[in-house]
Amino acid sequence: MSGIAMKVNRFGLVAFFIIATGVSFHAQTRNEVLIKNATVLTAVRGTLENTDILIRDGKIAKIGKSLSAGSGAKIIDATGKFVTPGIIDAHSHTMMDAINEGTLSVTSMTRIRDVLNPTDIAIYRALAGGVTSANLLHGSANPIGGQSTTVKFKFGKPIEDFPIPDAPPGIKFAMGENPKRSSQTFQPGQTPRYPRTRMGTLEVIRDAFVRARDYKQAWNDYRAKKTRIPPRRDIELEPLVEVLEGKRLVHAHGYRSDEHLNLMLLADEFGFRVATLQHGLEAYKIAPEIAKRGTGVSIFADFWGYKLEAYDSIPYNGYILWKNGVVVSINSDSDERMRRLNLDAAKMMKYGGVPEEDSLKMITLNPAKQLGIDKRTGSIEQGKDGDIVIWTAHPFSVYSRVDMTMIEGEVYFDRATDIQRRAEIAKEREALEKLDINKAPGSGGTPPRIPAEKRIEERDDAEYGDGDNR
Amino acid sequence: MKFKFALLAFAATGLLAVSIDAQSYAITNARIVLVSGPTIEKGTVVVRDGLIAAVGVDAKAPNDAQVFDGTGLTVYPGFIDALTNVGMQTRTPAAPTGAAGAAAASVQQSATQTNSNYPAGLRPELIAMDDLRGGDAQFESVRNAGFTTVVTVGRTGIFNGRSAIIDLAGESVSGMIVREPFAEHVSFTTIGGGVYPGSLLGTFSALRQMFLDAQRLQELQKMYAANPRGMKRPDADQSLEALFPIINRQMPVVFNANREIEIVRALDFAKEFNLKAIIGGGQESWKVADRLKAQDVPVLLSLNYPKRTAAASSDADPDSMDLLRFRAETPKAAAKLQQAGVRFAFQSGGATALAEFFSNAGKAVENGLSRDAAIRSMTLSSAEILGVGDRLGSIETGKIANLTVVKGDLLGKDRVVSNVFVDGRPFEQKLAAEKPSAGRPPAGTTAPAATFAQVGGNYAITIEVPGQQLTGTLALTQQAAVLTGSLQTQLGTSPLKDGKVTAEGFSFSATVEFGGSQIEINVKGTVTGNQVSGTIDSPQGTVPFSGTRNP
Repeated sequence: MSGIAMKVNRFGLVAFFIIATGVSFHAQTRNEVLIKNATVLTAVRGTLENTDILIRDGKIAKIGKSLSAGSGAKIIDATGKFVTPGIIDAHSHTMMDAINEGTLSVTSMTRIRDVLNPTDIAIYRALAGGVTSANLLHGSANPIGGQSTTVKFKFGKPIEDFPIPDAPPGIKFAMGENPKRSSQTFQPGQTPRYPRTRMGTLEVIRDAFVRARDYKQAWNDYRAKKTRIPPRRDIELEPLVEVLEGKRLVHAHGYRSDEHLNLMLLADEFGFRVATLQHGLEAYKIAPEIAKRGTGVSIFADFWGYKLEAYDSIPYNGYILWKNGVVVSINSDSDERMRRLNLDAAKMMKYGGVPEEDSLKMITLNPAKQLGIDKRTGSIEQGKDGDIVIWTAHPFSVYSRVDMTMIEGEVYFDRATDIQRRAEIAKEREALEKLDINKAPGSGGTPPRIPAEKRIEERDDAEYGDGDNR
Repeated sequence: MKFKFALLAFAATGLLAVSIDAQSYAITNARIVLVSGPTIEKGTVVVRDGLIAAVGVDAKAPNDAQVFDGTGLTVYPGFIDALTNVGMQTRTPAAPTGAAGAAAASVQQSATQTNSNYPAGLRPELIAMDDLRGGDAQFESVRNAGFTTVVTVGRTGIFNGRSAIIDLAGESVSGMIVREPFAEHVSFTTIGGGVYPGSLLGTFSALRQMFLDAQRLQELQKMYAANPRGMKRPDADQSLEALFPIINRQMPVVFNANREIEIVRALDFAKEFNLKAIIGGGQESWKVADRLKAQDVPVLLSLNYPKRTAAASSDADPDSMDLLRFRAETPKAAAKLQQAGVRFAFQSGGATALAEFFSNAGKAVENGLSRDAAIRSMTLSSAEILGVGDRLGSIETGKIANLTVVKGDLLGKDRVVSNVFVDGRPFEQKLAAEKPSAGRPPAGTTAPAATFAQVGGNYAITIEVPGQQLTGTLALTQQAAVLTGSLQTQLGTSPLKDGKVTAEGFSFSATVEFGGSQIEINVKGTVTGNQVSGTIDSPQGTVPFSGTRNP
């Protein structure tokens, strides 16, 4: 019980979670979880009917029929239910207290890890949509943006538990309208930021890599004792050296195929591989060139037309890339779309007819591959992390809902618990709103009315379509 | 000693009146809260030459001392507000108006000009003391609230600059300083005008690069000092050099951080560069008490409790549970830190109504903090965290004679700060408690015939704002034609300005915060018997008010 008490002190939110519901899954022994009698979509070895999954110490220990677990194991009867790997979103800006450092053209010194906020309610909502991992990216305001972080959504845990420790580091690049547009000036006399054209954007990237190469050389010279004074540590260039050394993944935002091709040619020139083309709405035009380099593409299923450079998109983009052997993932770029990525994957079956398992891979194993975390997650295989979603129906059905989402065998979303909690939270809200400190001044103490219209950033209209220029 | 003594203990209130500066003072028959030891229920404190000369049950008032009868009063060590911007002059040059204005602006501008390689906001070399002005008068309201000592530093920029610990009296800045610099202060904010860093992302990377550059510069300067031949001389960089004492752990860094995640980020950053960190604000610090304890990071705990603002529209979205809980939990923070063994000192957290400091400390006590710990957290604990525990924070012989004399319960509503001693100098509180009917003018004032209306007192008033009634308290203190006091409503507490009393009635102006902006109001009123009535003029129009004098 002292474990619980400690959590109460450190994480009030989780504490409420536990106390209010009486469900103590966070404090429960993590040793064994047994999911019984499910239809398991493994995302790698087909669909297994009436199958059990045993998770031990957070890892998938066994997959098979009529498995048994030790005493004290958490047994979940999944009869009539569907089980998939946890969904992985290869492009998200959730749980970030800042998205763009737009003042400079190159902001590779910034780190998303610095601004993560584990209390963002969007995390919980993503869990309710079956998402367990995400690639948290800097925005697209500059040709070279900040360093990304790949996390698991361990909502309620301290922030240091979120980043996946062995995930390779990443960095955001961006081309096209967004970095150009971010160079606009809004005040008279303000010096416009360079670059303002697509060719300038590529030049900024090339220039940065030339500087990074020189920087690397300066350190090599120093280490070889050719120079006496240690070079200045430059946190802008350090991550770019890592890119040159193949240690950091480049996730490149862009729409037009000419730009994405140019970037891959630049990467060829400097001897690295672009890990993913993000959005890539025209990627189908250069599918063989992408496949040849082993670069991945992370797309929207059928979202298009929200700006000029998004007009050449076709819903068959995913299919054509898949047909050419490209590793394709479907991302959200949005706290809202993140909650229904399963349906975006289903669209891949509709447009062109990507097989079911390959469609599912586009939100599970493929993003895991793109992010370099496929050794531990992305499919239901023995030895992988117990990142599991239990659905009420086939996940590609519009009638399907998430019943339970677990990460490494721990339940982070449970529909039954959630429903139970709603009444508790309403009660707590009522009590809290009565406190003087929470009353609206001069209101006579009644809580404020709820406005009819939702906040604009929650709307999915054209103007904010591209993740709000992220 | 050439002082004429005039002690006037008003029988009705037991308050003290001080007329003339003296070298030696004694407060007798008072309850004395030593903080460093058990409270003396009835004893004497002797002050001489700015220091505490003696304290105890048997301490004797010297022959030359001005003696105060402290019957019914409690003497505390002078209260310390551990984080303020008291006395800081603004650095922004005023817009030049005319030739003289332009000249003044250019002087001011040149005073703030710098050869730093860093933009404003990223200059750790800023020194709070440079922006301070001497003079007793400007600190009157803070002293009257009961404070003798504050930490002061500007509030702008990522680097706020180096703070000073000052006593709140003295004609010169140099005489007010208790310790300078105390610490570097850092806010996780941005720089405006499209300058990097323009986001929280950039704030951390800009800080990180500066700390790395400072580490390197220090190394290079050492190398160069040891052997300059064959080595390009390292830069003299005032901004980076200002970070040397910080990276060498000679000077603490106060990170302004209230929410859990902000505190965690500060602790992570402090760990990354092995800094001596202090958390300023710390309203959710109890959630990371384990880490604060492990990293030995004290908290300058804000007593400016979050509350729903007056600006909240009735159409606003409902507050998030997170925010509702945050407001409800903040008063419990101090008790939880105490339980966890985290060192903390109270500070006003930018609150404009300083009375809230004590009433909110009272709320911390209601929420489980021991009373002694509450008082210690505004006296000795504060002094210890500030590194001046050997000279301030308790009533002990030889320490600086900073004392606050209080009538009533310090943490309760009937608290009245009657006198404050700063560096041994007595300051008398001009109080609302004196009833005009007492009839005796304070010593030293010539009291002409009562050609002024008698309006002093505390009134419970109702302001008839269209569509709603606003209730409040109007505290009026009259000294002949001069009116002081405060107006308290749901919008906050505002001190009276330009208060005047005529034969017919009274008038004053005040600044009220409403909807996020400062509104100037002008009030006129009359008093008939125990009834007060009048009008309040504001840019939004004129509204009537009326009320009754509290007995």
